[in-house]
Amino acid sequence: MSTITRRNFMKFAAASGAVLAAGKGFESEALAGTVATQTGRDFSPATGKERKAIPSACWQCVSRDSMIGFVEDGRLVKLEGHPKSIRGQGHICARGQGGLTSVYDPDRILYPMRRTGPRGSGKWKRISWDEAISELTGRIKKLRDAGHPEKFLFHYGRMKASSGKLIGGLVKATGTGSIGNHTGVCESAKWTAQEMTWGGHFDNWDIDHTKYMLIMGSNILETHTNHMSVAHRIMHAKIDRGVPMKTFDVRMSNTAAKSDEWIPIKQGTDMAVVLAMTKVVLDKGLYKGDGEEFLKFCKCTPKHDDTVANKIAALKKHYANYTPAWAEKISGVPASTIEKIAVEFATTKPAVLIAYRGAVTNYNGCDSERARQVLSSLTGNVDAPGTNCKAVGAGWKSAKVPKAKTKKVKDIFDGAPKGEPESYPFPTHHASHQVLSRIKAKGPGTFDLAVWYCYTPYFANGNWAENEAVLKDESLLPFVISCDTSYGDSTHFADMILPDATYLERFDWEDMVDPTQTGEYYIRQALVKPLGEARDFGDVMIEVVNRLGMKTNYKTKEEYVQQSVDMTPGVKEAGGWAYMAKEGVWNAGKTHYFSYKEVILDPKKQVCKVGGSVYEDLKDPEAICSYFGDDVLFDNLAGVWWHWKASKAHSEDEAKQKGYYGTKYAYKGYVATKMGDIAYKGFGPDKVNKSGYMELWSQILVDAGYNALPEWMPAPNQKNMGSDDMHLTTYKVCVQTHSRTQNNKWLTEIYPNNHAWINPKDAGKRGISDGDKIKVKSPIAEMTSYAHVTENAQPGHIHIAHHMGHIQYGRYASGNKAPEGRSDPDDKNIHWKWHGSHPNQVIPNWGDRLSGFQRWNDTVVTVKKA
Amino acid sequence: MDSAMNAKNKKSVALADQRINVYGFLAGIYRQELVPDLLSQIRTPPFRGVLSDLGANLGDEFFARKDEDMIEDLAVEYTRLFMGPGKHIPPYESIHHERRTDGDWGKFWGASTVEVKKFIETAGLQYKDDFAALPDHISVEFEFMQKVIERERDAWAEGDRDKALYCLKMEKMFIDDHLIKWVPRFCSEVVSNAELSFYREIAKITGNFIEFEKENIDAYISDA
Amino acid sequence: MSEKYSKSRRDVLKGAGAVALGVAATSVLPVSEVSAAKKAKERWAFVVDLRRCVGCRTCTVSCKSEFNVPLGRWRAVIKTVDWGTFPKNRRAFVPRLCNHCAGEVGTKGQESDVPPCVEMCPEAKSGKRMTMDGVRYRTGATYKRPDGMILFDNSLCIGCYKCLKACPYGVRYIDPSVKLDKPNKEADEGIGKCTFCDHRVDQGIEPSCVQGCPHGTRTFGDMNDPNSKVSKLIKEFNLDKSRKKTTLLPDEKTAPHVFYIDPDGILSHYTFDHKDQAKREAEYRDRIL
Repeated sequence: MSTITRRNFMKFAAASGAVLAAGKGFESEALAGTVATQTGRDFSPATGKERKAIPSACWQCVSRDSMIGFVEDGRLVKLEGHPKSIRGQGHICARGQGGLTSVYDPDRILYPMRRTGPRGSGKWKRISWDEAISELTGRIKKLRDAGHPEKFLFHYGRMKASSGKLIGGLVKATGTGSIGNHTGVCESAKWTAQEMTWGGHFDNWDIDHTKYMLIMGSNILETHTNHMSVAHRIMHAKIDRGVPMKTFDVRMSNTAAKSDEWIPIKQGTDMAVVLAMTKVVLDKGLYKGDGEEFLKFCKCTPKHDDTVANKIAALKKHYANYTPAWAEKISGVPASTIEKIAVEFATTKPAVLIAYRGAVTNYNGCDSERARQVLSSLTGNVDAPGTNCKAVGAGWKSAKVPKAKTKKVKDIFDGAPKGEPESYPFPTHHASHQVLSRIKAKGPGTFDLAVWYCYTPYFANGNWAENEAVLKDESLLPFVISCDTSYGDSTHFADMILPDATYLERFDWEDMVDPTQTGEYYIRQALVKPLGEARDFGDVMIEVVNRLGMKTNYKTKEEYVQQSVDMTPGVKEAGGWAYMAKEGVWNAGKTHYFSYKEVILDPKKQVCKVGGSVYEDLKDPEAICSYFGDDVLFDNLAGVWWHWKASKAHSEDEAKQKGYYGTKYAYKGYVATKMGDIAYKGFGPDKVNKSGYMELWSQILVDAGYNALPEWMPAPNQKNMGSDDMHLTTYKVCVQTHSRTQNNKWLTEIYPNNHAWINPKDAGKRGISDGDKIKVKSPIAEMTSYAHVTENAQPGHIHIAHHMGHIQYGRYASGNKAPEGRSDPDDKNIHWKWHGSHPNQVIPNWGDRLSGFQRWNDTVVTVKKA
Repeated sequence: MDSAMNAKNKKSVALADQRINVYGFLAGIYRQELVPDLLSQIRTPPFRGVLSDLGANLGDEFFARKDEDMIEDLAVEYTRLFMGPGKHIPPYESIHHERRTDGDWGKFWGASTVEVKKFIETAGLQYKDDFAALPDHISVEFEFMQKVIERERDAWAEGDRDKALYCLKMEKMFIDDHLIKWVPRFCSEVVSNAELSFYREIAKITGNFIEFEKENIDAYISDA
Repeated sequence: MSEKYSKSRRDVLKGAGAVALGVAATSVLPVSEVSAAKKAKERWAFVVDLRRCVGCRTCTVSCKSEFNVPLGRWRAVIKTVDWGTFPKNRRAFVPRLCNHCAGEVGTKGQESDVPPCVEMCPEAKSGKRMTMDGVRYRTGATYKRPDGMILFDNSLCIGCYKCLKACPYGVRYIDPSVKLDKPNKEADEGIGKCTFCDHRVDQGIEPSCVQGCPHGTRTFGDMNDPNSKVSKLIKEFNLDKSRKKTTLLPDEKTAPHVFYIDPDGILSHYTFDHKDQAKREAEYRDRIL
């Protein structure tokens, strides 16, 4: 029995004194200064509370709304929306409010760690930051010295604005181009479609000026890429201005619930309904007026300068068989409803068509979005007040980030190579969900070093069994570093963990799309110092490149952000960083519509002089090429002037022969498009070769062997569904993000697990009652869940939300908690035992036929009582 | 000065030195993983005797195992016990100090953290800029006691009884309001979760020492 | 202390900006001056516009955060209400909070009573003598302030939990993180419930859930000020004259001061077994299925 007595205490003290006197091992101390006594001060800790309000920005999800953090005695105590933000107008969502607990998460990682047991055994040892950074730098240097910098795989989940610019830039400066993203599991089919039609990606719905809201496959009131800043405008439009709101959804989402009309629709068939609505618009002539006017800026036939009448005729021909009756058979939506909604949408102007993940997470994802671009165009609801607009965000300048020539491992990021199953013609945002299976296919030696930054490949992608096998395989992934705030499911399989600062402890300039078309500049600043030894990965990468011998004008990300802010026009004049740190937000107050009408050359108004001649019209477009600059060609098929040297063409002859559409990277040299007698900037290209027209008809799709106009193709795996088969669809709820909020206790106690929604008709057939344990089987795996029998589920469908079913992560997310429930008094109050079961484990990693976007909602399953 | 340095003061200086040593030693033990030098000092025969005298049973393996292996084992154990990931026992007062009236405990940077930080800063000490842990880490609280008692010792040596008493009262306040409120509880958790003898036995000694302090601090003041 | 100042306090301005800039005005006015400055005292009320609620739980979580409410206990919740058969089924959301019941409202609208929770509290008269706006009252373990707020004081609570039994809405909970100063043999934990954020309101800031709500569902203010937003809403939607349709459990005659704007009749689909204490308390939790 160990006890302390007067006698052994003295001995212990003497021995301790000897150790202390030796002084070895006791060098670092926490406290400085001396104890001041007899100052007459009271020793009782002061009770007067200071509350400091600091503007910053949320990061719980990618919406990144401006907010205010309140700090009391060094502890972050509350978050609220920033009242001066034009985006959020003083509001953040439940997730934003709950994000507070991220900082003080009892399962948070606070020190760099190195694995000590076998990979995945969960045995770790603390290491110093110096050791961690030496390891990372050493491995990168070795690869660089061997001439294979590309064997460093950097894969991020969320890395936006200044984090993207700085961290992404610094990673590239090490020489690797092997960089994975996560858009392939998010919405890339939509982006690719937008890049094919109106150029850049991202649409904004001008809710403040709209008179009709049509929503397809988007639960925007609960969750969205630009969630609360749009959602609160929708509800104000609906209640304050009486704007109609109609929603197509496979299940009763909260958005469907709040709509004037919820139209249930079979999984993956939104496109069929849109095609039929478009036919209604064409048949009834509802394109007349605004639609016809806008069609002047659209390409609907192979000819860029076709007449509006010919354009209409071509569309009518293509849409001839897409009747409402045809769509009813496919979608289950009554033909009369399709016709009614089409007429409402086309005649209540201006209107927005909000479509998101639900409408694109399928085999036809990309073409489905193209079909909506046709409908919006035909009704004139594009880039005008109150319509679907090209998004506007802040345009920050960036302090200089070192650059290097990069190399990239091939056939990893864009799906399978051409000719193999799961290869895609236009993976413009990559197929990140297939990276692990691509690494497996390529075999050992592909990569030497992998870094996950804010990324969980295990959890965020489909086919968990394969993910786990690859992550565990040290021949495929010899050394893995995970930069994470908590002990995530993928971090579990890492070799080294770098504890990241939470978003509440770091600095960024931010630029999320502004629903008012103004473009709000806003910043994120640390509300508290990073807990423990957590460190912003931006700081870490600065140190890495500095150690590799590259210079930066900043030592921390905070300095980088401040320098960038001070360089940015507008913000600079407003007071730069000093202003932003105090105010948090700034905007120029000017809205942006009709971006495509920017005139590059109008010979009637501008003098067009080439050599000695003056041109008064554009009848000879080739003759005036040099007006736009050296090495500019005019492409007669596209109607585009382009600078061929910016492309991959080796010679002018090659460029002319292959043409604008056929030359790789020709879009990088895009100058203007001839529309009648004016050269417009138009809907300029961003990632594919397209003209400045809204390309409803796509030449590059024709060249790749596809239909130029949106074409309905049934998903191959759904052609012969049996009577027992069901569609598995996934969704998100209002209090969780996909992977990163489940250890926020206030959020998870509201949604601690994800019951599978099933309609009473389907449940009855299978003998399933509410709350029963069930088995859901797909062609690749089987999962268990619990049934929530509800009329809110559509017959023939089973709906299972994401979020839940973590294996690791923390006590609230997965049940892993500290010993004896001691370290958080709330442990004993945890009132849920089941932590959910994630549908990703039964969903394959496959892709939309054009963009490669993950087909989250295409899986066919059988469901039975367990 | 000499005249002031009477026998009683000498005794007080000696006692203070003893307490400084123990607090300093424990602060060092909890501050970070053991370094080789410290391990070898702890494994010397005299220290082994002291530990055994305290009832600590470290087992033969602790003294026999190769230096580098032992250092590695202890580092893993230290990480597992105090840092996680997974089940661990964060060595912070705000986690363990059950504040019954306001319920503000069980979390990082809680009310206790604020109180400890203010206590320490009010006492005229600052946290070093490069100190990365939270202000109520167990090693900080021990180091704080070490520093206050050092001041007390100096006061006795200077014959400044008022100042020494003032320090003693500060020590008592910190023991009563903080150390005794959580250290024994924390230590018993470490005892039941430790896999290696070292942290288990050190935790026993630590808990007992704080209870010993609590029992004796009033006497130190009344004897002074 | 002008009339203007006093009014701005009663109207409870959009508060976040004020807090952010640290200019939140305190409302500690000398009693006599307030009495002299205005005749009618405040009567706080809460209006929930069911047309606007989308079930986003921002209110629930901002309340959790404001008070660090322990897991499994709730001061504000949203209930999801489902009815009908696919595809004609409907779904709606009903935010709930303490109703800050008047107890009984006379025919002329004057309040002369206390709600059941206060009535049942054996310590209701044990508190300090206080004066608010010239009206003298006593605090207690559970008590009613002259401005209508139903508040609690755990330093006086003896843990008899009669208030929990008395509340037909089940909005009160036992707070495991609060230990009583005056425990009895069986119980030593305090109680908790929605306070209308008196600590914010008294500083001129609207309640946390009102600030948090992105959709304008929640409005808080002074019924006695005809220009306040709540008064306007009460008038526009005839809320206080049709309590049967605009408050919860009207048959309990507790005179709730949380009113619902409910043109679609959602409340008629929202029922729970309020006679059973365990069931009504189980109902008062926020859970998304």
